[in-house]
Parts: sequence; C-alpha cells; structure tokens
Amino acid sequence: MTSSPVPSRGIDPRSPRFGAAITTALLALDIVLTLNDSTRTVGVVLLAVIAALFAWGGLTGIARHPYGALFRRLVRPRIGPPAELEAPEPPTFAQRVGLVVTGVALVLALIGTPYAAPVGAAVALVAAFLNAAFDVCIGCLMYVWLVRVGVFRGRSSVA
Amino acid sequence: MTIALSLAIVAGILAVATALGLLLRSRTGRARVVTSKVRDATTVADLADREAFGTAATLLQFSTPTCARCPATARQLDAVAASKSTTTAQGLARVRRLEIDLAERPELARRFDVMQTPTVLLVDGTQTVRARFGGPPRQPELVAALDAVLTEEHP
Repeated sequence: MTSSPVPSRGIDPRSPRFGAAITTALLALDIVLTLNDSTRTVGVVLLAVIAALFAWGGLTGIARHPYGALFRRLVRPRIGPPAELEAPEPPTFAQRVGLVVTGVALVLALIGTPYAAPVGAAVALVAAFLNAAFDVCIGCLMYVWLVRVGVFRGRSSVA
Repeated sequence: MTIALSLAIVAGILAVATALGLLLRSRTGRARVVTSKVRDATTVADLADREAFGTAATLLQFSTPTCARCPATARQLDAVAASKSTTTAQGLARVRRLEIDLAERPELARRFDVMQTPTVLLVDGTQTVRARFGGPPRQPELVAALDAVLTEEHP
C-alpha cells in the first residue's frame, strides 16, 4: 500500500484561495480594461503583471508567493490556525497553468491578435473564481486530463 | 466598446462560472453504481497483488501528485476501512484501502475514465468494481455503499 505524502512543509489551504480572490478581482478588472480602446494598453500591462505573479508562484513555489505573505500578515491573525495543512504542489501547479494561459494571451496580444487579452483573462478568471468561491482547483484537474491524454509518461515529479 | 457592456461581459462570465461551480459541487463525492461498458474497467484484480486487497471489500483510491484533497481522502478511507474491518485467521484484512498514483500508471486514467482526483472505486471481494466516487466521497454514501457490499458478502 502506498500512502499520500504527508506535507511536512504544508501550507494553510486558505492561503491559495485568498490569493485566488485577489487574482479574480485583478482579472475581472483586466477584462474591462482590455475591452475598451482607451484603456487597452493599461490592461495589457496589468495582464503582464498578473502573468508575472503567476510565474512567481509557479516557479518559486506557492509558499513564496507575495499573496501568501499578505495572507499571513493580514488574514491569518484574524481567523486563527487552519484545521489541517495541505501539500504545496497542487496550488503551485495551478499557478503554472495560470502562467501558461495568461502568458500565451499576453504574447498574442502583443503581436496584435484581437481580443487575445480579454479572452485569456476570461479563461483564467473562471479558474480563479472557481478556486476562490468553490474551492475547485481547475489547474489540478487539468493535471489528470494531461495524464489521460498521455502527456506524462511514467513517473512525473512536480517540484 | 462601452464600460457598461464590458462590465456586463464580466458579470456574464462570473455567472457561467458560478453555474459551473454549483454543478461541480452538487456532483462531487456522490456514489455512482458502476455500469461500465468497458469490460476491463470493471475488474481491478490485475492492479496489485492479491494481499493488497481486502478479502471482502477494497477502497481503491486514484491519486495524483497535484491533488490537494488526496491525503485527506486517504485518511478518511483508512478510518472507514478500519471501522469496518476485522482480520481473518490468515492475517488478511476484510476491508483495505489501496492507493494508486496515476502519474506512475497513466494508462489507468484512461482505462477507468478518471476525470478528477481523488477518484475512489469501491471493489468487492472478487475485485469487481461496484461503485465509484468522483472527488472526496461523501461519508454517508461511502458507508452505505460499503455496507451494501459487505452485507452481500456475509449475509
């Protein structure tokens, strides 16, 4: 019998949801900005900032994400310690999915593809909103779908 | 495009996402009686050694490394298995949990049509799949489905 790895360096599961709520607000704002001609440039810059934040969480690990620091300083003292800790790998993988979605949208927007920025932001918005409001991790589900279509062969480690 | 229209688009996206979230929430963890058309998806006897299965029932959990709820589900299944299990004279447990990492055996994701992790298969004493749960099983439905299999094994 194999067992799930018990996270010795676990994270507060409410921290990624708090971050997803901020991301939801930023992405909603970004859709409005990129849909209007006068604010499109600001919107693309904001999309780059959002992508950079996804890169921060996805590449250095969710525990080092700035929203995590914000959570520990502002939210955690008010709501007390969590009932249990969770492994950092799933939200870290979800951050990478967010990075790919917003990164592709950003590149397409920069080369002039119409509506690339708002469509990419909308896809990321649905995922971030489901995470914040319903605790559903679309990025984690996508990992299973990628396994199904054979992207991962044999042991695949997620650092 | 006007600000009002773009705000309406954002509201529409959030409405669709809310409907999706409510749908996922209503379906997650429910017991589904297995009626698979794929023949090799109804037996799990080839997945592990005979001793890895419970003699009366097995709770087979599919996990992935990026599954936030898999460790908690593993603890839940262990507790349920322990509460229903006695050890036979040969030292075999009647009910056991068996966990399989799909990253190590990706072919099983397709064979058992796994769309999310954790997915839990309730397996009877002949290693035949009797029920499945997508997402962390709802405790009352899990216990009821397990009791049904156990009652049948030992009437």
